[in-house]
Amino acid sequence: MKRLRTNLLLPAALAAACMLSAAPAMSEDSVSLPNLSYRTGPFAATGIPLMNGQRDYMTMLNERDGGVNGVKLGYEECETGYSTEKGVECYEKTKATGIITQPWSTGITLQVLPKSNVDKIPILAPGYGFSPMADGKVFHWAFNMPASYWDGASMILKNISDGNLDNLKGKKIVLLHLDHPYGKEPIPLLEVLAEKHGFTLLPIPVGLKEMQNQSAQWLQIRREKPDFVVMWGWGAMNAGALTEAAKTKFPMDKFVGIWWSGHDGDMASVGEAGKGYRSISWSVPVSDSPVMQDIKKYVLDPKKTEIGEGEFDWVFYQRGVLISMFTVEGIKAAQEHFDTKVVTAEQLRWGLENLKIDDAKLAEIGMTGMIAPFSTSCANHAGHAGGWMLEWDGAKFVKVSDLLQADESVIEPLVEAEAKKYAEANAPWPINEDCKM
Amino acid sequence: MLYRTAGQFKTSYAADHALFPVRQDAWLLGVILLFAFVIFPLTASEFTFKALLTPVLVYSLAALGLNILTGYAGQLSLGTGAFMGVGAYACFKLITIFPEMNVLVAILASGFFSAAVGVAFGLPSLRIKGFYLAIATLAAQFFLVWLFEKWAWLCNYSSSGSIQVPTVEMFGTPVFGPNALAIVQYYFVLGVVALITIAAINITRGRIGRMWKAVRDMDIAAELVGINLMKAKLSAFAVSSYVVGVAGALFVFLWRGAAEPVAFDIALSFRVLFIAIIGGLGSVLGNFLGAILIVALPVILNTLPATFGIPISSAMVEHLNTMIVGALIIAILVIEPHGLARFWQIIREKLIMWPFPH
Amino acid sequence: MDFLNSVFVKPFADMVAAPDFLLQVLWEGLVAGVLYALIALGFVLIYKSSRIFNFAQGIMVVFAALTLVGLHEKGVPALLALPLTLLVMYLLAVAVERVVLRPLINQPDMILFMATIGITLFLIGFGEIIFGGENKVMITEALYIPTGSFEFEPFGGFLLIEQKDLTAVVGAGVLVAVLLLFLNKSRIGRAIRALGDDHQAALSVGISLSTIWVIVWFIAGVIALATGIVWGARAGVSFALEVIAYKALPVLMLGGLESVTGAIVGGLAIGILEKLFEIYWGQPLLGGNTESWFAFVLALIVLLFRPQGLFGERIIERV
Repeated sequence: MKRLRTNLLLPAALAAACMLSAAPAMSEDSVSLPNLSYRTGPFAATGIPLMNGQRDYMTMLNERDGGVNGVKLGYEECETGYSTEKGVECYEKTKATGIITQPWSTGITLQVLPKSNVDKIPILAPGYGFSPMADGKVFHWAFNMPASYWDGASMILKNISDGNLDNLKGKKIVLLHLDHPYGKEPIPLLEVLAEKHGFTLLPIPVGLKEMQNQSAQWLQIRREKPDFVVMWGWGAMNAGALTEAAKTKFPMDKFVGIWWSGHDGDMASVGEAGKGYRSISWSVPVSDSPVMQDIKKYVLDPKKTEIGEGEFDWVFYQRGVLISMFTVEGIKAAQEHFDTKVVTAEQLRWGLENLKIDDAKLAEIGMTGMIAPFSTSCANHAGHAGGWMLEWDGAKFVKVSDLLQADESVIEPLVEAEAKKYAEANAPWPINEDCKM
Repeated sequence: MLYRTAGQFKTSYAADHALFPVRQDAWLLGVILLFAFVIFPLTASEFTFKALLTPVLVYSLAALGLNILTGYAGQLSLGTGAFMGVGAYACFKLITIFPEMNVLVAILASGFFSAAVGVAFGLPSLRIKGFYLAIATLAAQFFLVWLFEKWAWLCNYSSSGSIQVPTVEMFGTPVFGPNALAIVQYYFVLGVVALITIAAINITRGRIGRMWKAVRDMDIAAELVGINLMKAKLSAFAVSSYVVGVAGALFVFLWRGAAEPVAFDIALSFRVLFIAIIGGLGSVLGNFLGAILIVALPVILNTLPATFGIPISSAMVEHLNTMIVGALIIAILVIEPHGLARFWQIIREKLIMWPFPH
Repeated sequence: MDFLNSVFVKPFADMVAAPDFLLQVLWEGLVAGVLYALIALGFVLIYKSSRIFNFAQGIMVVFAALTLVGLHEKGVPALLALPLTLLVMYLLAVAVERVVLRPLINQPDMILFMATIGITLFLIGFGEIIFGGENKVMITEALYIPTGSFEFEPFGGFLLIEQKDLTAVVGAGVLVAVLLLFLNKSRIGRAIRALGDDHQAALSVGISLSTIWVIVWFIAGVIALATGIVWGARAGVSFALEVIAYKALPVLMLGGLESVTGAIVGGLAIGILEKLFEIYWGQPLLGGNTESWFAFVLALIVLLFRPQGLFGERIIERV
């Protein structure tokens, strides 16, 4: 009965929360922060904890501080089910009032990207979307902080090569990826690196319909005998890959995933067999940090919202909290700079472009150790924060590496070239000429 | 009262076979066109254009294409999504290879590519029938989507593997791309859809249309009275795929703005099939009614809770929406298996009789 | 020349060079084939008795598996959850018959097919409200399905056979045998086949259409549950499982819509051939992921020669 109750209570609880925040919002100042969520569809399992974390951080701020400097945070979800078609609908629906848009899927991001220039709404795609979006001069309105997929790929390679990519010479690396724009993201960078450092790259695609039945892919891996398998997986694909890896006795310490492949919920079905599997992550769950404790105190304990059992400690739930933090810090920066309370979309864009997330800031908002310090600028929209390796110990993810930094000297020219290519293909494309960095 | 036909006499066969044998039908259509061409554009918001009007038109056109094949020629196809994809990719290649090409020409020309692919995949229909043919068209569906994914030339080697619509102008106004106004795009789509609909009405009423219907009702009998089956079936595939391809080009270039291969997945094929069947097979009007129900209804349902202040999470709305659409499909099929178009016919008959039924 | 070599010579040379790997590929193909055959069987049974092309078979698999896992999560012991799930599938069969099939008797095939898609959508929405969208783990151990694996070393290589796959193959074999026995020997089974041959003749000798339909949909539900357990044990239970319905379609084309034998032979053939093609031709030559269309294209080619599938009833047309 529990599941049923949760699902019936959840909307009711949400409703109560909405009423609480919406009713006074009429009289008070508030900002509308839409999120194109996906709590349904084939990727729902990964979406739900992320959305819950995002929602709960905002709810906590509204409960604890009455919003940000007296402005209530109007967090709204528009459900897309990860479908690009619903994405258009949701974007159009929320763009009139929203001061930000969070498209979530790479497909929706690509669709919204050109429109954001015209509609003047910042796109926040934390750790996903289109890697060249890091170039703030070309992608004036898009942000993919704290790190792009190329940063992630670079960090992974650095870690598996013990810090020196030349150690990979003559090795074979398999990229097991979803056959979808998202899965293909790292390929351009990996190809460049493979040529430079002399390793072989073999991309193995997994079709959307084959996510749960990857025996062909793992047979190929068995035949190719790669030294490492790097995974760009999503939703049901992660669990499918880990099950097959465990079955074919592929050594788990040679198997590394991107941050979206390190989900506690996916690992649960693998359990002990997945021990030793690692995933790079720009976020680390710290359940006893002040911010998490406040969420517990102000949101979860009074049953303002409900989350699944054990979800509180999950990587993805706490990553959702961090994602909302970017928006909130952007609002704070904009409020200060423009000396206003209710920020507009354009002001928020400035705020997101001038984020300074340093250790003092993290301590102030109670997130010490949950994310590496980073800052953004008009040229750098990714922040290029570092990340850590998280290892599955059979029951949860634990941090097993020092802070890893991506090798920007390789990534930067590639970002510039790809951004230019994009701008040319979509000419006339406005370039931010004011940015002198 | 309103629909009284008394006094409208037909004195020749031509008059009896006219498009609007009843004057009121013409008036009604006039009112609808007035709404479509004048009143909606004057009143609609950008959201209404982008989420309701344009998609309804695009889907109606796709369903019309499918309806020509399935409703008129009786060949069941589940590959509509992939044929839309062929149209979209063809249009993308056309405008990137020939940037100075007029956009209207590019859109209309892209249909020829999908028509050619359609005929190729239509060849098995000469031997395979019924559900077997339906599953055979699935081969086209899955193979083509796989090809879009693998053949990087199609998307100009873009690193994301998806097509992005550049800004293209026609007579100085942007029509494609992010800078185009929603109202311009709406008028463009409306124009193309109107044009093709008129053509489709006339084709289906003419010699070819009657040939298709004969094949649909019983192909062996049709062959016996001298209809060339190969010509009939392949022409149906060609015309249908042409219309579907144009719809696919409109789908990406005037509505979505970008598309990855998965956008042309089997789900799209089913969606178009729903529209054609709920609307009514073998009817032109039905496609529009079906599209309004299948495309617009969920959008409207989505906005309802917020409008009435009913507190409900967006995920819940989505679940309920899926359930409601499923239940509606069953309900409509149970009440009137011939679709919404037949509903309208019944209403019209009643109106003609009213207020003195037999 | 190089090209011809890579298409016609190299794959076979690879097969011979690594026979243990070939055996592994064949085994994986066989297991996948058994699952395809099971789903196809669900389709065939319903098609045979009511001429309905039941697209909802895929979602029934998900629904059955979710009910089983959901009940177990709520504290029902696994061995009790199993019959309870069967009860739910029975109720579903009754509901489908009452609400959808009965009012649609005598409608064209196309309409009935669409109605089953309506059922699919309804069940997706309904299931997500009740069970939520999270991934669930199949209760393999609670159902006493062994989870270890056997390792062999043929030809100096190694071959790995998972016990749950073995269980699946054996279980499916038993299920099919029982089903065939039931269809051929029992009273109800004969009634089902009679309905398949001619509705009116069957009605006139006193066979109740609605009872048989409920029974057939229930059997399809049982098959769905079996498929759900087996597939869920391999890859977890979630709505993404629904796509396996598409996997059964080429099997039906190949085997013929009305033939139980066809479903089994077609399923095994497609499972094995698509794996062989993907490993030895698809991945090296075509960039991989050919499993999404190979089966359809294969079936299409077969249909060009035999329009009714390998085991389908000969299509006789009269004017």
